[in-house]
Amino acid sequence: MNRKKRALVLTGMLAAAAMTLVGCTGGGSSSSDVSYWGAFYAPTTEDAFQEIFIDGFNGEGDAKVDMQVKELTTIGQLTDTAVAAGQAPDVIYSNGPSAASDLARADRTLSLDDYSKKYDWEAKLLPWAYELSKVNDSLMSVPTGYGSMVLYYNKAVFDENGWTPPTTLAEFETIAADAKAKGIVPLGGGNSGYQGMSEWLVTAVLNAAVGPDKLYDALTGKASFTDPEFVEAIDLIKGWIDDGWLAGGAESYFTTDDTANITGLANGSTAMYISGTWAFNSLSQEFEDPDGWDWAPLPSLNDSVAPGVFPLAIGTALSVNAKTEHADDSAAFIDYLIGDVDRSLKYTARTGENPPPLAFTADQFPADIDSRTARLYSDIPATTNVGYATWSFFPPKTDAYLISEFDKVVTGDVSSAQYLEGLQKSFDEEFAAGTTLTPFAPTK
Amino acid sequence: MTSTTLPARRDAPASRPRRRRPRTKQHLIAWAFVAPLLVVNVLVITGPGLASVYYSFTDWNGIGQPNFIGLANYAEMLSSGAVLNAFVHNIVWTIFFLVVPMAMGLVGAFLLSRIRRGQVLFRVLFFIPYVLATVVSAAIWRQILDPRGGIGATLADLGLPFLTDVNFLGNPSLALGSVAFINNWQWWGFLLVIFLAAMQSVDPALYEAARLDGAGPVREFWNITLPSIRPTFVFLSLMTVIWSFLVFDYIYVLTKGGPAGSTDVLSTLLYREAFENQRQGYASAVAMLLSVISAATVIGYFALRRRLKWDV
Repeated sequence: MNRKKRALVLTGMLAAAAMTLVGCTGGGSSSSDVSYWGAFYAPTTEDAFQEIFIDGFNGEGDAKVDMQVKELTTIGQLTDTAVAAGQAPDVIYSNGPSAASDLARADRTLSLDDYSKKYDWEAKLLPWAYELSKVNDSLMSVPTGYGSMVLYYNKAVFDENGWTPPTTLAEFETIAADAKAKGIVPLGGGNSGYQGMSEWLVTAVLNAAVGPDKLYDALTGKASFTDPEFVEAIDLIKGWIDDGWLAGGAESYFTTDDTANITGLANGSTAMYISGTWAFNSLSQEFEDPDGWDWAPLPSLNDSVAPGVFPLAIGTALSVNAKTEHADDSAAFIDYLIGDVDRSLKYTARTGENPPPLAFTADQFPADIDSRTARLYSDIPATTNVGYATWSFFPPKTDAYLISEFDKVVTGDVSSAQYLEGLQKSFDEEFAAGTTLTPFAPTK
Repeated sequence: MTSTTLPARRDAPASRPRRRRPRTKQHLIAWAFVAPLLVVNVLVITGPGLASVYYSFTDWNGIGQPNFIGLANYAEMLSSGAVLNAFVHNIVWTIFFLVVPMAMGLVGAFLLSRIRRGQVLFRVLFFIPYVLATVVSAAIWRQILDPRGGIGATLADLGLPFLTDVNFLGNPSLALGSVAFINNWQWWGFLLVIFLAAMQSVDPALYEAARLDGAGPVREFWNITLPSIRPTFVFLSLMTVIWSFLVFDYIYVLTKGGPAGSTDVLSTLLYREAFENQRQGYASAVAMLLSVISAATVIGYFALRRRLKWDV
C-alpha cells in the first residue's frame, strides 16, 4: 500500500472513530457548574433573572450555575427528550407540578425531602403548593411561580362604553352583547401557535361556572366530570363561540394567538380577555399607555359560585436531576430562587413575573412594584374563593386530553357531554393508577 | 521436466498470497471508506429504527421504563378514528401532489423549454420559493391568509370584499387545501427545474422529425417529451408518494394538524402522541405504519418496473 492510500485509510478510520465519539458525548457547560435551562417571555425578563438569580447566586459561594435559555413554548418537550437521553440539566424545569410528577414517577428526579428540611421549604411555601409538589408523600419539585386566571380589560374602552368589570354572568353577557353590537370582539381567545391556550379558558370557566367545591370533588373521585354542572360550563363556552363572542367565532379561534389577543385588547378591538397573570408584563409592553389595562377577578358564571374565584396555578416547578453530580448545589440554587421573599418580589417588581408561592404580606412589596401586581398578591391570600388550574391540578394525560380534544368542541364535532365523557375516562385511568395529584381542600 | 515442473508447483502456492494481499488490502481500503457511513447509518437510522420497532410493542412514555404490551398499540391504532382521519388526509395530500404540482411542473417545463430568451430568469423565479426556509414561507403565507390583515382584508379595502369572511386556515373545510396550496407554491418550481433538465436531454432531432410530420406542440409533448422523460417522471412520482406520507413541516408550522384534526396527517399525529401526550410507544407503532407504507410504495414501484420492463 502506498503512502497516499495509507493516509486515506487512516483518515477514514479516524473519521469513523471521531463520529462515534461525537455521538457518545453531550454538549454543555463545565461539569463543575450546576446546569439549568431557563425560558422567558421577554429578553428583559431573562436579563433580570440572570442578574438577580444567576449572577447573585454565583457571586455568593463556591457553587456556580450555568444557565442556557430555551424557547418558552418548547422547553417542556426539550426537557423530556433530554431526560430520556440522559442529557438533562442538573436543575430540571417543568411546566408545573403535573409535568414534574411524570419525571418523578419515572425516577428521573431526586426526592427533595432532605433539602426541604435543610432549607425549611415546608414553612416557606404556601401549604397547598407544597402538598401539590409531592409524589407519593415525597417532595419531588419546588414551585417557583404561582398565579391565577383573571379577566383583563382596556380601561379606556370600558370608560368610553360605560362598562364596569362584570361580576356575574348577566353582567358579562350584557357587556358582550353591547360590544358585539359595536363591532368589538367581546372576549379574546384562540389557540393558534399554542394549543394549550384552550385550557386557560376551560380553567377559568370551570372554576367560575362549576366552582371550586365541585371541582375538588371531581379531582378526588367523589364527583364526575360528566355531571350536569360541567356539561353546562362547556356548553357556555360553546355558546360564546357560536354567538361570535369568543375570538369572533370558531374559525378565528384557530387563527388567533396570545399576542393577537393582547394586541386586540390594546388597540380596543377586543373588549375583554381571560388569561393568566403571567401576561402582566406583555400587557404593559403592548399598551401605548402601560397603565391603560387592568384586571378584575373572574365573574361568577353560575349563581351557585361566588364571584371573584382565583384558580390557583403553578406555571414553573423545578426538580433535581437524578443523574446529577451536584445535587447539593442544585438544591442550593433552587433555595436561592424561592428562599428569600425580598429577592423574589424584587424580581416580580422588575419583570411582572409571578412570584413563588411564599407567604408574604403587603408591606413586603418593593416600592417600585406595579400596583396591579401588588393588588393581585394581596387579594389572593385574603380570599377563600380559590380554585384549581387544570395544568397544575389535573393529572398529565387528562390535561393533555383536555387540550387536544377541545378543538372538536369548538368546531362542534363533539358535544360537551361527549368531550367530558372522554375527559372522565382519562381521569379514571389515572386515578386508578394513582397518578393524580393532591388538590387542597376548598376553604370555606 | 521434473526440474521445470517442481519449481512451477512451488511457485503456484507462492503466487497466491501475492494475488490475495492486494485484494485484501483493497477490501480493507473499501471498508475504511465505507466505515464512517456505516457508523452514521447504525447510529442514526438502523439503531433508532430497531429501537422504534421494540418501543412499538411497549407503553413507553418517553421518560420511564417501557413495559411490553404486545400488539395493544397496533390494535388501538387500527381501530382509531384519529389514525384513519390522518391516513385519509395523507391520501388526499398524495393525490393532490401527484396531480397539481406534477402537472404544473411538466407543463411549465415544457413551455419554458420552448423559449430561448428569459428562460434562466423564469427558472430562477420559479425556483426561489424552494430555497426559502419552510418556516419563513409559512410565516409569509400565514400573514397573507390572515383574515384580519391579509389578502381578504386588503381586497376588501379595494372594494372587493369577496374574501372578507374566508378564514383559510381556521375553517376546517378549507384548512387542508390551504396548507397543500402553500406547500405546492414552494414545491412545483423544484419539479419544473428537474423536468426541464430532463427535457433538455431529449434529442432535438426527434422534435424536428415530428414537426416535419406535421405534429403540433401537444403531440410533441405527449409523443416525444413525456416518453423521453419517463424515468424522471416515474422517479419523482415515486418520491412524491413517499414524501406525501412523510409530510410534516408545513402542516405543523401552519396548523399543527388543526382545526380539530382537519389537517392532521400521520406524522403530525405521531408527533403529538410522542411529545405532547407522552405516548412514545404508541407513536412508534404509527411510525411503523408509515414505514410499511413507504416500503410498500418502493416495492410496488420495483414490481411495476420489472413487469413493464421500464428502464428506470
